[in-house]
Amino acid sequence: MHFVVIGNGVAGITAALTLRERESAAKITLISGESDYFFSRTALMYAFMDRMTLRDLEPLERKSYDAQRIDRVRDRVTDIDASAKMITLQSGQTMQYDALLLATGSSPNQLNVPGVNAAKQGMVNFVTLQDLEQCEKHTRLGGNAVVVGGGLIGIELLECLVHHGMKVDFMVRDPWYWPAALNKEEAAMVTEHMRHHDVNVLLEESVVEIKSNNSGKVEAVIGSSGKRYDVELLGVAVGVHPSIEWLAATKTAPKVNRGILVDSAFRTSLPHVWAAGDCVELASTGLVEQIWYSAKRQGELAAKSILGDAIDYRPPIFYNSSKFFDIEFTTTGKLGAESFYHRVAGKEISIRVSWENSAVTGFNMLGSRWNHEFFERWITERRTPEYVMKHLLEAQFDGEFGTLPLNFNFQRGSK
Amino acid sequence: MIRQTTYDRFTHDITNRGISAWILSALLTGFYLALYFTEWFTPIAQSIGLDGKWTLYGLLYTIAIVGGGIFVIRRYRHNRYQVIRTCVVMFVQSVLAFALPQFLKAIHQPEYYFSYFWPLKLDYLTPNTIFHYPLPIILFSFAGSLLLVPIAGAFFGKRWYCSWVCGCGGLANTAGEPFRHLSNKSTAAWKFEKAAIYSVLAICIVLTALLFTTYAVGPKHPDLAAFTYKFQSFYGLIVGTMLSGVVGVGLYPIGGTRVWCRNFCPMAALLGMVQKIGRYRITVKKNMCISCGLCSKYCEMGIDVRSYAQSNESFTRASCVGCGLCAEVCPRGVLKLENVSNRAPQERLVQITL
Repeated sequence: MHFVVIGNGVAGITAALTLRERESAAKITLISGESDYFFSRTALMYAFMDRMTLRDLEPLERKSYDAQRIDRVRDRVTDIDASAKMITLQSGQTMQYDALLLATGSSPNQLNVPGVNAAKQGMVNFVTLQDLEQCEKHTRLGGNAVVVGGGLIGIELLECLVHHGMKVDFMVRDPWYWPAALNKEEAAMVTEHMRHHDVNVLLEESVVEIKSNNSGKVEAVIGSSGKRYDVELLGVAVGVHPSIEWLAATKTAPKVNRGILVDSAFRTSLPHVWAAGDCVELASTGLVEQIWYSAKRQGELAAKSILGDAIDYRPPIFYNSSKFFDIEFTTTGKLGAESFYHRVAGKEISIRVSWENSAVTGFNMLGSRWNHEFFERWITERRTPEYVMKHLLEAQFDGEFGTLPLNFNFQRGSK
Repeated sequence: MIRQTTYDRFTHDITNRGISAWILSALLTGFYLALYFTEWFTPIAQSIGLDGKWTLYGLLYTIAIVGGGIFVIRRYRHNRYQVIRTCVVMFVQSVLAFALPQFLKAIHQPEYYFSYFWPLKLDYLTPNTIFHYPLPIILFSFAGSLLLVPIAGAFFGKRWYCSWVCGCGGLANTAGEPFRHLSNKSTAAWKFEKAAIYSVLAICIVLTALLFTTYAVGPKHPDLAAFTYKFQSFYGLIVGTMLSGVVGVGLYPIGGTRVWCRNFCPMAALLGMVQKIGRYRITVKKNMCISCGLCSKYCEMGIDVRSYAQSNESFTRASCVGCGLCAEVCPRGVLKLENVSNRAPQERLVQITL
């Protein structure tokens, strides 16, 4: 039995380890064009800030790959021939498989503005190890940078650049930071916090043109306000999309839409080929899940599906976590029509419990720690907001001596 | 001093085993060797009105802990566990481990350190030494070593001592803070730790037993007495002087701050065993870890915290001193130090005005 996994991100490695756990005799091959060993992509920012070395980012000891008999191949896959159950690598090598898992992850979106093709140097993303190299190359104490994109990767990149002493303008297209996840009040708190860290936050500003010099080095960007920003580094963090472009050139490509289409058992349209993680689109709902937790979950389930388990994947209640400079963020569910909201006076802490039709639907917590499992349970059980507020402290996860007192008046408001 | 590694990756030389770290390590080691084996510091101590080199050392040690403590409190000011813990460490060092013994000495009482217990301080249980102290101190010492240490360990874990009271841990968590990430995280280091620390504990217990036996039957068996005292002075040289002092602090810039505590301290070994069966644990929030590894990186005991966090396992490791830094650095709030009780969680309901 030969299992081949393309991609050694969290989905790929989780799948490989799950396969090994159950199939001690099988041959398992893990192919990656990016890195020799699985590393934690979510910790790229800590490597950039020198809080960790690149080696520290590897969650598994290197010798454990041998112990687990997971063969690593550093290459890119160029072709899939599903009828012959064979893949071809860039090096020309071919490989037979019994089961193939596509876990190729996602790629950063690029700007679509004049001058983008001429920009060869100084325009960076912040997703891969190679991106990190480029980021480091163009980071300079006292230099100017613009970061575009009001999401999570953008703010992580900001924090790194600020840490290294760059002067950063942060362009957010929307009227407030990250409207997809945050309400106005929370966004205002985060924006205030960013400004406190000397980030120049520019709301409703975006890049309309990139200016490079003759050798392709980015020199300036023009904002939608008409203003010119001289930069040494332009950080582009305008979201990611499933990495599926490479499939177009393959002999037998699985069906794709936004991502590789899979059924609820992570089977693609090709026989003996599965897919999991950021590169996947669930055919039944059109959902593309692109966070760490979903990739880990999907990797494990896809492996079980390969092993013959009956898998019927239904995405659980959404949750995610993040950290905006010093402000921790836990979110669960989705915001309903109404909510209780409280911002702790004088502190960067806020609580939002949201509901619709007298059942709680979502939580947005900033600056204090919460156990999302309680939130998930309350949402599943369709608890009333009154019940949840009464039991809220059960979900608290603050450190000893630091538990947030919950004896305050909540503001009742819409959304 | 900053050194360039790849591209524009800048790393602080002194906290990343650069040349300056090795120089600092050599200086610290040299200082300890000179302190233990020469009298160079005696005239310096006397010139500033202190009675000897050990008082001078105590003063420097206290300054390091208080100075480092202020730095740590500033750094972690948003974290009440760190602030309170550091305040206690500073208090214990400056009062119980410095001012009080000096005061006792000044009023011609025996110089006794209320913050040290057997088996870290062998003398505070073994009869040939402890019986020279007044009765209240003998009682305190026996109760402390045989009751307080294990009972508190069972309820709160070894942290009550190792990172709230002990001077070795105190220095590590204050002045040593910038070096905490240098501990070795490999499984090989973990194997060495287990072999080394339990060996020291076993030797320590054998020696204690020998000292009691000698006290009881020594006058009739001069050979045994001679052997025991030779053994004791050898233990003092290897464990007390070389491992806890010279290696323990001398290696800060190379091996991290807890080389002694992790690999050799008999008290840590004993408390670790109590901790394994006690109430203390690190609770892991399910499915929230992003495997970033900051917890492992900043664990001064070299525990691969990430391996537990990413597999959703709450855990108690014998070596964990409960400094709480893993929970502090975790960007997703996954970890929580707890003393788990049998009571139903959260009996009290919150009062919120809606």
